[in-house]
Amino acid sequence: MDMIKYTLTRLGYMIVTLWIIVTATFFLMHSLPGTPLQNEEKLPPLIRDQIMETYGLNDPLPVQYMNFLGRLVQGDLGKSLTYDGRSVTEMLLEGFQASSFIGMQALVFGVVVGLFLGVAAALRHGGLLDNIATIVAVAGVSIPSFVMAGLLSYWVGVKWQLLPTALWGTYEHTILPSLSLSFFVIAQMSRYIRTEMVEVLDQDYMKTAKAKGLGRQAIIFRHALRNALIPAVTVLGPLAVNIITGSLVVETIFAIPGIGEFFVQSIQVNDYTLIMGVTIFYAVLILVTIFVVDILYGIIDPRIRLAGARE
Amino acid sequence: MSEKNMKSLTPEMFEFVGMNESAGEEMARERVGFWKDAVRRFRTNWGAMIGLFIILIIGFFAFAGPLMNGYDYESQNIAIQNMEPFEDHYFGTDSFGRDLWQRTWNGAQVSLQIAFLAALFDLLIGVTVGSVSGYFGGRVDMVLQRIVEILYSIPNLIIIILMLLIFEPGIIPIALALSITGWVPMARVVRAQILKLKSQEYVLAARTLGAGHRHILTRHLIPNVMGPIIIAVTFAIPSAIFFEAFLSFIGLGIRPPLASLGSLVFDGSKFLQIYPYQLFYPATVLCLIMLAFNLLGDGLRDALDPRMRK
Amino acid sequence: MARRFRISTLVSLLLIAVMVLSACSFGGGDTETKNSQVLNLAEIQEPPKLDSAKTTDVVSSMILGNVMEGLYRLDKDSKPVLGMAAKEPEVSADQLTWTFTVRDAKWSDGKPVTAHDFEFAWKRALNPETASEYAYILYPIKGAESYNTGKGSVDDVGVRALDDKTLQVVLERPIPYFKDLLCFSTYLPQRQDIVEKYGDKYSLEVDTMVYNGPFIFTDWKHNQSFQVKKNPSYWDKDTVKLEEVNWQIVKDNTTLVNLYNTGKLDFTKLTSEFIDAFKDDPNTFAIYDGSSWYLEMNQTKDFFKNRKIRQAIQLAIDRDTFVKGILKNGSIPAGGLVPPFIKASGVDENKKYRDLVKLEPEFDPAKAKQLWQEGLKELGLTKAPTIELLGDDTTGAKANLQFIKEQLRVNLGADVQITSVPFKERLERGKTQRFDLLVSGWSPDYNDAMTFLDLFTTDNAFNRGKYSNPEYDQLIRKSKENADFKERFQDLKKAEEVLIDDAAIVPLYFRTEMAVKKPFIKDWYWSAIGPEYTLKWTYVETGK
Repeated sequence: MDMIKYTLTRLGYMIVTLWIIVTATFFLMHSLPGTPLQNEEKLPPLIRDQIMETYGLNDPLPVQYMNFLGRLVQGDLGKSLTYDGRSVTEMLLEGFQASSFIGMQALVFGVVVGLFLGVAAALRHGGLLDNIATIVAVAGVSIPSFVMAGLLSYWVGVKWQLLPTALWGTYEHTILPSLSLSFFVIAQMSRYIRTEMVEVLDQDYMKTAKAKGLGRQAIIFRHALRNALIPAVTVLGPLAVNIITGSLVVETIFAIPGIGEFFVQSIQVNDYTLIMGVTIFYAVLILVTIFVVDILYGIIDPRIRLAGARE
Repeated sequence: MSEKNMKSLTPEMFEFVGMNESAGEEMARERVGFWKDAVRRFRTNWGAMIGLFIILIIGFFAFAGPLMNGYDYESQNIAIQNMEPFEDHYFGTDSFGRDLWQRTWNGAQVSLQIAFLAALFDLLIGVTVGSVSGYFGGRVDMVLQRIVEILYSIPNLIIIILMLLIFEPGIIPIALALSITGWVPMARVVRAQILKLKSQEYVLAARTLGAGHRHILTRHLIPNVMGPIIIAVTFAIPSAIFFEAFLSFIGLGIRPPLASLGSLVFDGSKFLQIYPYQLFYPATVLCLIMLAFNLLGDGLRDALDPRMRK
Repeated sequence: MARRFRISTLVSLLLIAVMVLSACSFGGGDTETKNSQVLNLAEIQEPPKLDSAKTTDVVSSMILGNVMEGLYRLDKDSKPVLGMAAKEPEVSADQLTWTFTVRDAKWSDGKPVTAHDFEFAWKRALNPETASEYAYILYPIKGAESYNTGKGSVDDVGVRALDDKTLQVVLERPIPYFKDLLCFSTYLPQRQDIVEKYGDKYSLEVDTMVYNGPFIFTDWKHNQSFQVKKNPSYWDKDTVKLEEVNWQIVKDNTTLVNLYNTGKLDFTKLTSEFIDAFKDDPNTFAIYDGSSWYLEMNQTKDFFKNRKIRQAIQLAIDRDTFVKGILKNGSIPAGGLVPPFIKASGVDENKKYRDLVKLEPEFDPAKAKQLWQEGLKELGLTKAPTIELLGDDTTGAKANLQFIKEQLRVNLGADVQITSVPFKERLERGKTQRFDLLVSGWSPDYNDAMTFLDLFTTDNAFNRGKYSNPEYDQLIRKSKENADFKERFQDLKKAEEVLIDDAAIVPLYFRTEMAVKKPFIKDWYWSAIGPEYTLKWTYVETGK
């Protein structure tokens, strides 16, 4: 019962949050200089105004805002202003297929490797694996993604010709992009897990568990990892959203038809509907993820009760 | 031993020493303060010392390096463009014939300034919001969490690009723009930790003994989440440097001809296949900075985490 | 504790190894021959608008140029040759009424191409509700401007299908370049039934449009790739040899070169970073993109109202070094505004405007310095104010800004501050005169010097420096109405000389791009104006 009430409350908050985000972005976006017109540079001012009028972009902002909200409530994100007449929803869904595939793959790979490295590093505190984990973690955060992706694309793709250097189509095309994305995940995961594990392994209840005669595996996985996972989950949720919504750098370098580029390009060309589209898309994903993470918290660590349900 | 001896104990054999009230409070060993202890343990941590050493060296070069050859970061000389290191062009020249040694150290200066500023803002806002939110819970938490959620959920490029359009790209505007959303991860980590810790016995004990919220937060809770906070900072510094590099990638970085390490690495990465040295030097400095901060972070965590006291 | 040492050493070694690996030299797979008439090309972006009435961008216009055909199309020398027009038109003595005969040709769905398709398409583009951003290219047609701006009626627009095969066009004023205009995307025909059938879905996918050009659009994976195949119902299909052309959408220059080197692409453009790597490759070639680049000086400010200051700046920039050392792409140092490929239209169709009007770039730092000092004295200044140099934030634009800043710093001792902003912001600031110096570029709309010279009349919106000279205005105004094309040419020549003599702008360069293609691609014709290239005559020289 508590659970249902809690969920409903949170849903309510999510809608309010989303509304604030939509509103803030809408007005911020309209303070961007220029218009969404493509030929703006050469368009005579008179004609420009007239075309803006046709698109309803000369209306007072509050009017445009209400129109937008009206359409949004009906689930209509509108049509892109750059890609003549294409539906924003369709563009996002099409692009998301590529982005999320690469992202998921990077995430799974990154989390598995990161977990392994983190746990191994903690268990062999100071040993060889610990050193390797540190190296990977440092490398993962110290080489900018455009350098990493560039190196992979050049070395694996051009020099050794093991995998396609870029483009999209077959499974082979997804490997290098996912790999470039996963370094960051590995780095984040392994560091957080290692730190937490080292601390957890030092706790009294671990000694108790050992004293009770529990097996090593049971100790590590039932007790240590579970407690170490809590901060990792906090980090992992939003990280996952970030990764599956695509990376401008990776998608540009590997020529992938994803949505990562929309986040920057839509702003550069003042494609208002697309800006709102990606914002809403991203915000909903994040909000849902945060919600899920909070629920997971309760499952992983019974000491943390759901904040909203308590009072 | 023997009852005989016991019996021979007489009151005369004892001397009354009186009651020393203060003696009961005395510690068995010298009292070592939190920070003093931390410094002591930090100094024995070689990794951290190496990290600190590298940072000092790079810091030294960032400020003194530009004085070491007679060039500056902006003078162009097309006749010597794209030259590998020669004479006193220790790092060679770029596509304008500018001295890369000068540009690299200047860039290091700029990047460090941006990173420190951004990390400082992140730290101040993130720790305050995270701990208050986690500790007090309830309505305060609810409000703060909504704000965090909003900031977390807007693609931060929109905010950052706007910020950089209002203020011209410079060191402080970039640092500010980065920390507008940059403090959020910090706040989330801190909040999660505080939530975990606040129901522990020692906090309860402190509260029972009448400690105020402020005391509990600053003396008991925050020192205990120092580990995660420091890791978050060691990630905040590289991520600030990187985000600045990413801004260069989309054309919004530092205003040329001034450079940052990020913009130099970006410029160099375009020459990866032809003049790789243009990537090599700034990238090496960048990597060294990262490495140093990570080692330092590890060391600081060991030093600051009270649970690791020996 | 020695362990800690190992971590740092290992990491450093690893990173250094990665970097050193990258230091090794360049190589790549070579596929120099091919056995099929298939090309693999790349474009930098997805075509945003394939509706010819609305299209404004390079990619869409290139595709349309290959899958559609107007009355004329551009040949290998960028000269208009007959397309859908069956023969040369009858032109009235006053140069105003043009009567075209439409060829017996078919759309890809088998229906005949008619004069009505042209009338419909042009009037549709002019309809204010279409909100076409390039409708103004149709303004030479009588009544077009007033209909497009909502003042006139569609019935007064001077284009009429007299019957299925005869199209009559009445012009507002005589122009010597009308045939060139007819090669432009906005002048392509459209089928009323198809446009109306698909409504707002028209031209969004390959099957929501019909084609009358050498190729048909057969596949389009949004943001990824697109493909055309030979059009079996094209009137001149025997000339077309290519069977299939594939384009990948690739945005990164390095990626393009990597794909070219691994044989996935048969062609790529080269940005300045890669020019050195390909400098000995015989397969590189130059593409004139037609744009002219120059500095505008904000003449609403007293400082730049001073002619000597402007002249000093004009003389202080070494454009030769700029082009050879920074741009490295074969661009031509500019002494004037009008680029070299513009025709001497109305005078000699086989000569270029620049052949007849010579303006060489001048670089004279000593004289520049002297003029600068004199200018400062005239203004009563001892020191010049800080000059804000405004430009785009792309990598190339930033390089240009840095070079110009350095030239002015070294040669004039001027304190210049660079402001590089996103494209839209740059337009906004330019429009509202929030700059001192502005790097601008202009691409031609039609093949005549007027498309450039028109820019600097007093009330032109694109005259962002607000240069104003009554003599110049008069020359341009007169040329717009002048049916005597010889005199018109002389007036335009005079106008450009006035412009440069006044130092109204500082011409920088005429842009060229470098590219590399596989040697088996033959007869690939590029144009600085209209569709970027045409593949109608292109073929693959097949191996043995």
